[in-house]
Amino acid sequence: MPGFTHLHTVSGFSARYGASHPEHLAERAVERGMDALALTDRDTLAGTVRFAKACAKAGVRPLFGAELAVDAPEPGPERTDTSVRRDRRRAPVRGGAFVDESAPRVTFLARDGARGWADLCRLVSAAHTAEGSPLLSWPDNHADGLTVLLGPGSDVGRALAAGRPDRAARLLAPWREVYGDALRLEAVWHGRKGTGPGSLRLASRTVGFAAEQGVRPVLSNAVRYADPGQGEVADVLDAARRLVPIDATRELDSGEAWLKDAGAMRHAAERIVEAAGFRREAAHRLLEQTQATAAACLVDPEGDLGMGAVHFPEPHLVGAGRRSAQRALASRAAAGMVRRGYDRGPGRREYWERMHHELDIIAHHGFASYFLTVAQVVDDVRHMGIRVAARGSGAGSLVNHLLGIAHADPVEHGLLMERFLSRERVVLPDIDIDVESARRLEVYRAIIGRFGTERVATVAMPETYRVRHAIRDVGAALSMDPAEIDRIAKSFPHIRARDARAALAELPELKELAGESRRDGGGRYGRLWELVEGLDALPRGVAMHPCGVLLSDASLLSRTPVVPTSGEGFPMAQFDKDDVEDLGLLKLDVLGVRMQSAMAHAVAEVERATGERVDLDAVPEGDPATYRMIRSAETLGCFQIESPGQRDLVGRLQPSTFHDLVVDISLFRPGPVAADMVRPFIEARHGRAPVRYPHEDLAEPLAGTYGVVVFHEQIIDIVDIMTGCGRGEADRVRRGLSDPESQGRIKVWFAQHATANGYDAETIQRTWEIVEAFGSYGFCKAHAVAFAVPTYQSAWLKAHHPAAFYAGLLTHDPGMYPKRLLLADARRRGVPILPLDVNKSGVTHRIELVSDSQGSRARKPAAWGLRLALSDVHGISEAEAERIAAGQPYASLLDFWERARPSRPLAGRLAQVGALDAFGANRRDLQLHLTELHRGARGGRGDQLPLAGGRKTASAGLPDLTSAEKLSAELGVLSMDASRNLMDDHRTFLRELGVVSAKRLREARHGETVLVAGAKAATQTPPVRSGRRVIFSTLDDGSGLVDLAFFDDSHDACAHTVFHSWLLLVRGVVQRRGPRSLSVVGSAAWNLADLLEVRREEGLEGVAARLAAAGGSREGDDPGGGPARRRLAGSDGRPAPAGSAAQDPMEQRKIRMSTGYEMHPWADLRPAGEGPAVGRKLWHQSPGSAG
Amino acid sequence: MTILCVRFQMPSAREAALPELLGLIEEFTPVVEALPPDGALADLRGAERYFGRDAVELASVIRVRALALYGVDCVIGAGPGPMLARMALRDARPGLTRAVPGGEERAFLAGKPVAALPGVGAATARTLCEYGLDTLGRVAAAPLSTLQRLVGARAGRELHEKALGVDRGRVVPNGVSRSLAADRSFGRDELDPGRHRRALLSAAGELGVRLRAVGKVCRSLTLTVRYADRSATTRSRTLKEPTAHSAALTRTAYDLYEALGLQRARVRTIALRAEGLAPAEQASHQLTFDPVDEKVRRIEEVADRARAKFGPRAVMPGSLAA
Repeated sequence: MPGFTHLHTVSGFSARYGASHPEHLAERAVERGMDALALTDRDTLAGTVRFAKACAKAGVRPLFGAELAVDAPEPGPERTDTSVRRDRRRAPVRGGAFVDESAPRVTFLARDGARGWADLCRLVSAAHTAEGSPLLSWPDNHADGLTVLLGPGSDVGRALAAGRPDRAARLLAPWREVYGDALRLEAVWHGRKGTGPGSLRLASRTVGFAAEQGVRPVLSNAVRYADPGQGEVADVLDAARRLVPIDATRELDSGEAWLKDAGAMRHAAERIVEAAGFRREAAHRLLEQTQATAAACLVDPEGDLGMGAVHFPEPHLVGAGRRSAQRALASRAAAGMVRRGYDRGPGRREYWERMHHELDIIAHHGFASYFLTVAQVVDDVRHMGIRVAARGSGAGSLVNHLLGIAHADPVEHGLLMERFLSRERVVLPDIDIDVESARRLEVYRAIIGRFGTERVATVAMPETYRVRHAIRDVGAALSMDPAEIDRIAKSFPHIRARDARAALAELPELKELAGESRRDGGGRYGRLWELVEGLDALPRGVAMHPCGVLLSDASLLSRTPVVPTSGEGFPMAQFDKDDVEDLGLLKLDVLGVRMQSAMAHAVAEVERATGERVDLDAVPEGDPATYRMIRSAETLGCFQIESPGQRDLVGRLQPSTFHDLVVDISLFRPGPVAADMVRPFIEARHGRAPVRYPHEDLAEPLAGTYGVVVFHEQIIDIVDIMTGCGRGEADRVRRGLSDPESQGRIKVWFAQHATANGYDAETIQRTWEIVEAFGSYGFCKAHAVAFAVPTYQSAWLKAHHPAAFYAGLLTHDPGMYPKRLLLADARRRGVPILPLDVNKSGVTHRIELVSDSQGSRARKPAAWGLRLALSDVHGISEAEAERIAAGQPYASLLDFWERARPSRPLAGRLAQVGALDAFGANRRDLQLHLTELHRGARGGRGDQLPLAGGRKTASAGLPDLTSAEKLSAELGVLSMDASRNLMDDHRTFLRELGVVSAKRLREARHGETVLVAGAKAATQTPPVRSGRRVIFSTLDDGSGLVDLAFFDDSHDACAHTVFHSWLLLVRGVVQRRGPRSLSVVGSAAWNLADLLEVRREEGLEGVAARLAAAGGSREGDDPGGGPARRRLAGSDGRPAPAGSAAQDPMEQRKIRMSTGYEMHPWADLRPAGEGPAVGRKLWHQSPGSAG
Repeated sequence: MTILCVRFQMPSAREAALPELLGLIEEFTPVVEALPPDGALADLRGAERYFGRDAVELASVIRVRALALYGVDCVIGAGPGPMLARMALRDARPGLTRAVPGGEERAFLAGKPVAALPGVGAATARTLCEYGLDTLGRVAAAPLSTLQRLVGARAGRELHEKALGVDRGRVVPNGVSRSLAADRSFGRDELDPGRHRRALLSAAGELGVRLRAVGKVCRSLTLTVRYADRSATTRSRTLKEPTAHSAALTRTAYDLYEALGLQRARVRTIALRAEGLAPAEQASHQLTFDPVDEKVRRIEEVADRARAKFGPRAVMPGSLAA
């Protein structure tokens, strides 16, 4: 009895169609006794690499293919008919049109090795050149190395289903002409009734038709999922793809399209041939044909897909001319030595030796073209005037530095080549370059221009289902109320879909939802959660990876399918970043860094306004003002050191040199924080603890960090010094440390070699402890140095050109904080904020000289102010902003209206925020005038405006916006409280409550219980050492920032409020860890917006009632019975321990790291809610609010 | 303080009971204006003197009688004019009649949102709020010319007068209910046009039956389709001739529906409303040489009689029976 091979199998990479991962399919195939399996995803080959790897692991032979929509050979009469009818169909007033899936689909299998694979890539690429959904046009539909399966979804199959064998024969002819012997007819039986796809009658007709036409038939199961019982998931996917709800009255998935074993398929074959009127033995022949077809498809993942091989651009393209790449590289490196003057300096021998050593390693691997390629790209980018810097371990290579790729001198900073590339390491080296984010796409275009589309492609990034999207899609498929779906989805943190039910059971902020779900009795909700988990990690779409660029030789297009991206039309390989590495394609990461754009903008602003040229790459090192600013921990907006945790660390560490910054950045990583490397370092640094070395030989590498191991480079040096194994080997050892299995082996090896080198047992023991504890967690110093350069540059800008710095930040929005917080910071640092004004504001944020005319010139001559930008106005288009800026100045409202031609809503918004105040009248009067101008423009009425006193616009007697309304308008239109801090308006109430401002908090004692309030700026749940989940949040109250931490015991009461409110009132205890390090540990939190509302409407008594009823928990829905009541009932006012049932599963589910460090299962995720507050949400909606 | 605005609190299915309830009010005054589907305005100028009670006392009498006779509760507002009575109704609740005494009109109106004013629709209210005129007090304070620039000359003048409490409206006796509605909801997001059409057929049939039962014809038909996201699309069409003929209503309903061209819209409710109701005797009907039309109308007559006898589900289109 022959076995069976599934020739038509789709995985989850067929977005919103397949329900199983390729790995899963491969495993199941093996379990069910198959020795080969095909993957034929819809319109994509993206799953190929993962599938090939999974097959190799499981031990099945992979077959590669794709299922493509195919255009008809020539527009037949029936085709034109339908298209005309479709065009005539009325455009729906609501809900959109149906997703058109009418094109016939055909399965292609790669047969003849590399040629087959190349053909497959070409066909997939060609299909994606069609407008709209992928469609393979007939002229492209030819290949020598492919086998074609015409199944129920093909035009031939459809004709058979319609009972028209005559038409099927006519449609078959062109296919035969092109593919000849490689054509197969595919019979599928899913136990359906009638004659449609999956019915027994269609399957038997197909087999009969094949016999009649002399085309070989094959049997397949058109597999969509690995296991029986996944039909419901397929239904949800169908619904999500077609954008309609599941209609139980229509035909749903048959539930049969799973990876059936050979026995079941033999049974199907027998039924089909019997129904076709053949003898039972014919079933055997049908299965044999299927096996023979599978056997003929011979594509080897290594040889034919090119996995494991490396392809660099040809040397002549990267400036090598007719020389070999290695020689070109050597001469360019030598030229770099001379240009930078290293050949004349004191340590010139060291430089020369290092250079030759590195060149040898590069030659050993044959990577010279790679270095030249990166150098070429960096040169091109620099010529375009774009800021560019290398990051990553590549900064440790002197050759990179000499070629101009890396900025910092690795010899001076003690960076090691071996961390990046060594003889012992056989992986593709990885150089990342940072460019200005705003001009990233320009860089891509330049790279494509330089190397050509046949060598360059961007990398795909599959978007997979996580819990929120899964809930939305399943909810829509199940016809749930959209508002309810939205509420449920938003209440989840960004976790994996498969954890939905676990999260529901464990997370305090989801308790309310879990209660609802329980009350529902598991009916509707139960099905929802089940399906949500069923969608886990399935790809739901594909996007362009934000930084990867593939560079290859001219054979790229025959090795990878390339499709245009939806927006800019860049060529994009269907493989993701891991796949391309496996395929041996060179990937260059070109990261768009917003901070680079912001700094470029700041420098440009300084030059525009003052004529002074600032060269950021040449700012003086060790600038005292800069370090004073950094030490004050007011580093909002500075690269890498602006997060609450970093501000805390900077405050404790008090950096004063560049090296300190490097250390600071290295210390602020999950690893070092978790391994508690921070405290000993700070103790030693401030002289509170002695500096200790395990052995005096190790003093040299460890001296810079007071004996604490911070960098990977130090581990490499320690291992090298103790064992004498060489740094390349030492790096391999370091990499092995993170794996507990190899750690044991390394320990023995280390002890042996160190003893041989004459170290005593105690030293070895002590050293090993350090290596073991910190080895896998340290940070690559090359990374840190590369990060510290923009950190210092941005801090320098903040210290010396604050206005320009904020202008850059606000224009390019680089940080983790909302813009309004940067504005508040600017205000605190004394930068005047100038309001939006159509006569003065530019497209981007600008700086402007503010002269104090009130005679205070003696005190403050003039300050640079920050003029807000037009581009921040909600809904303004680039063209409109440019038109307004180009037409300045405007003499009157009419002039502005006629020349700048803003849209009516835009003009209204400008008036609301006071950008038109210069034209006279109040803001509401201006609105009225604008409306009339708008009507006049449309209705052809006279364009006379009532004027008063020359050019000023006359008043119409409308009430002006109140001050609160103005602030509300600013928040709504600009998402910033531009005129003053929004918390200022709540001062009275906060004073009544006795809230401590951020400024006064600095004087608070350790352990004091305080009330703080403010607008939530950022919320995180990072992994912390204790393995518990801690919610960190930052509040802004106008006078400064308050950093909050909520520990486990307060989550029941606070988590929901903290995640879902924009304005918070928090009770907590002050924690002091240093002169500048201060945080508040929260024990209760209230939604301040609600309290304000209550204060306004019910007075203080109402507030008291609210606090008494629901102190700290969410208001309203659960008065009295909530956890808050329990806590208030407690004698000491401390939170009562939460229900132990809720805690237990969490204890078991802690993620234990190799070093014994435990992580909370829900840590390190983007938390629930909608992120930091912007705009409107911070403001109550009053009926009288403008617009 | 002589005008009452009464709103009966009854389920929408009992719309047909309105004429009887109006009859109850007519025992006090002949000047009663129906506000379908469930309200009425009554001018008690003469009644006050005749019954020797003031409007608020009469309102209590009306409520008691409505409860006693029909089991229907009602809410009543009283004011010097119809507009103020309607506004007063908003503040009233069962058992508490809100009255606006003459002379206090401005004070009563000042704090009210503009949208509360009869005749100020959503669009006008939005316009006014945009300009900060969110309460009637502010509207009253704004210059007349500015108001006229905002909402037009005539509407501006009227708005200004109303905001000042000048109520020039009168109670116009009409006694007819002016529209009828029927809606069909789906238990899930429904996309199938076949089922949409069945809902339309059934709703149009119901409207026809109800119209014919009260001897009315309608001049136009309004289709409201509500979607899963709680938004709605509304379209109206005037019929070729005023009619209560189910087939004609269905045809128009289908036309309205087809014009929407819905494909993926998740429909939850389809509602039809017959508007511009007039007595059937006054309707004209275009005769044709086609005997089918005549026959269909006669069958309809017979079917109506059968329904009257055996219940509403006795006769129905075949496609709805399944």
